[in-house]
Amino acid sequence: MRVLMFTWEFPPLISGGLGTACYGIVKGLLKKGIEVDLVLPSKEEIYFPLRKESDADELPVKFISISKQEEYFKEVFHSVSEKYSYLGLDTIPESYFNKAEITTYFEELTRSYTYSTKVPFKKIIENLEGTEDIFEKVKEFTMRAEKYARILDFDIIHAHDWLTYSAGIIARSISGKKLVTHIHATEFDRAGGGGDIRIHNIEYSGMTEADSVIAVSRYTAEMVISRYLIDTGKVSIVHNAHNINVRGYINRKKIFKDPVVLFLGRITLQKGPDYFLEASKRILKEFPKVRFIMAGAGDMERKIVHRSAKYRLKNRFLFTGFLNGEHVAEMFTNSDIYVLSSVSEPFGIAPLEAMSYGLATIISKQSGVAEVIQNAVKVDFWDVDLLTSSILDLLRDTEKRNKLGESGRKEVETIKWDKACDEINSVYIKTIG
Amino acid sequence: MINIVFYFQVHQPFRIRNFSVLDIGKGLDPFDDKLNKEVMRKVAEKCYLPTNKLLLELIEKFEGKFKIAYSITGTAIEQFKMYAPEVLYSFRDLAKTNCVEFLSETYYHSLAFLYDKEEFLEQVRMHRKTIQEEFGFSPITFRNTELIYQDTLSDIIWEEEGFKVIITEGVDRILDWRSPLYAYMNPNKTMHMLLKYYSLSDDIAFRFSNKGWVEYPLTVDKFVKWVDDLNMVEKGKKNLFLNLFMDYETFGEHQWEETGIFEFVKHLPQKALKTKRIEFSWPSDVLQKANYKPESISFPEPVSWADMERDLSAWKENDLQNNALEAFYEILPKVKASGSVELLEKARKLSTSDHYYYMSTKYFQDGDVHKYFSPYSSPENAYRNFMNALTDLEESL
Repeated sequence: MRVLMFTWEFPPLISGGLGTACYGIVKGLLKKGIEVDLVLPSKEEIYFPLRKESDADELPVKFISISKQEEYFKEVFHSVSEKYSYLGLDTIPESYFNKAEITTYFEELTRSYTYSTKVPFKKIIENLEGTEDIFEKVKEFTMRAEKYARILDFDIIHAHDWLTYSAGIIARSISGKKLVTHIHATEFDRAGGGGDIRIHNIEYSGMTEADSVIAVSRYTAEMVISRYLIDTGKVSIVHNAHNINVRGYINRKKIFKDPVVLFLGRITLQKGPDYFLEASKRILKEFPKVRFIMAGAGDMERKIVHRSAKYRLKNRFLFTGFLNGEHVAEMFTNSDIYVLSSVSEPFGIAPLEAMSYGLATIISKQSGVAEVIQNAVKVDFWDVDLLTSSILDLLRDTEKRNKLGESGRKEVETIKWDKACDEINSVYIKTIG
Repeated sequence: MINIVFYFQVHQPFRIRNFSVLDIGKGLDPFDDKLNKEVMRKVAEKCYLPTNKLLLELIEKFEGKFKIAYSITGTAIEQFKMYAPEVLYSFRDLAKTNCVEFLSETYYHSLAFLYDKEEFLEQVRMHRKTIQEEFGFSPITFRNTELIYQDTLSDIIWEEEGFKVIITEGVDRILDWRSPLYAYMNPNKTMHMLLKYYSLSDDIAFRFSNKGWVEYPLTVDKFVKWVDDLNMVEKGKKNLFLNLFMDYETFGEHQWEETGIFEFVKHLPQKALKTKRIEFSWPSDVLQKANYKPESISFPEPVSWADMERDLSAWKENDLQNNALEAFYEILPKVKASGSVELLEKARKLSTSDHYYYMSTKYFQDGDVHKYFSPYSSPENAYRNFMNALTDLEESL
């Protein structure tokens, strides 16, 4: 079996949990002998023909254009980063097209199709209206989907999150192959309420046009069914898993003398950084010998920095700014308690990572990860009182903290991508029929 | 008679490097050696060396009639020694002319006066000792960081032996109907005071090269006429003091050589002295030249020479600044208690006011000035680096 897979993130192109999850999925599928043609928002028109497990790390490249492929073979790269830079994978893809061009393009494209196939195209044009950078990039990505669908040979299409749903729909219409859309997050999670109507529409199209929908948790499946009114029979739940990092656990070291409570994720409304801050403020009044670290970047960062200063938390509340993969690992090894304070978290891979480092973990009940984990403290994100007392309890009781960290570490070892990929494979088989 | 009192501020902070949480505890130097060297070399070439040379020539030419004053911070002197020793030698040459007064301030150009009186006095003593060692001069005039001043400062400084004069900003809301051209005293009548004449100071320091300014270009003739006209304020025979206080980096750095700033300075003394109604004086000359009993002037609230507000808002207005300052002065006693000389020196370099200035989030014009002087991309980044460096220090105790 071969899968044409569209995703916006994949290592090294990564900004959040989506890339980590896609990596786990692709690697797990390859291990089962399922081949993947991976398409990313690269600057060059390329795809990655992944055939064996190691390809997920090495990322062999194929260009759509044969002459460019020949040029590429002549290039000598001294480092991996040089190769990525050549492919335009290190920077944000540029936007080349404007609205008029995209409309003409779709008119051309739809001429040869019957009315029923034209409908999704029309919707795509409407949905992609916008001049923001991200919409420009999605447009460009979508317009390329046609080429991949024509040239490549595959059995099923798999598209991850709203940024690639339109590409998936195009590829489905052209190839006649079945489409699976994978819901890692919805606009309801990201915006914590209303959100961008255009994105909602794209998500709705992605779910209705798809032959199967995979949700990363029961929490997300319920949202897909109740808010987007998607047929329950089409929806499957496949929980995310985690890539175990034993080395990180062994190399446990400490920068700080006092225990460290860590928030690690994008500093956005969805992640509930303000609830973490409020709890920190209350804890420091009772237990001053602790450091709170907020790791990551995001549009609420400035606000949280100023508010932490307003609360006069002194240097007990610190900020790292954006961290790359290596530094994320270092941050985990230097922490004791991990807190996921998300307001709405479809899944949440970071707590699994934290647990693999032996951190005592507290997770929001409004998350998918809460469905699969037993050895963590679970609190409603809005219950700052309980969050405060839970952290305080673990700070005061070192033995309890260590015990929770150890049992969590053992538990997380059992949550493997192999199992998740078995389930994804079942969805493929069922969908192809 | 009007006395032009030139005082130039010479200061360079030890700027903090990009300091991540993960850099804590790794024994890294929190200060950006490369950047500090780069700035010092640049300012030495553009300002310190050419301006010192020019002023030395003028002092020699006018044989005692042209006098100036400097306040040079300890952190600047340390960086001269590290990156540009020839600058220090040229200041020593100026000192040897006996036409230069050196003022006293905190060694680290800090805000200690506002937070920790004992630390403040320790830094004042450190600085005084350094000035004596480097230039053989014992200061009797005091200027606090950025001309920050309130009545209590006079009382504290008076307790220290030898101080007789304090200078600060001629703030309108304090002066009210009074003129900054007269000598004043603090309410307890223990210290003589000179107040900066900000409009003429800023004409040189900020407006000199501004082509949108109605008086552009500022010629020596024009400036000398303005100064001479100020004599009309005084109907009797009282000596006036026109206090032109500014950053030394005005010459060649803020106002580039191409603006003609050096030519302006070069021809100013001759034109001014020719009037016979203008002289050049040191701040401490007020003790002899004030041929009247100075009136008392009270500064109940702190003032400074910064921004439009001329208060403390450039350093301690927003939460970032206040949290950083409070955290610093909470940790400082712990550093002292540790007895480590090395850590105390590191801590004190963090007391320099510039670090808090970079955290300012003021908008409009003043925000622009802050941005011009800041090596960081945002106030939040400045805050983050500072707090991480401070935590590094605390963790190494």
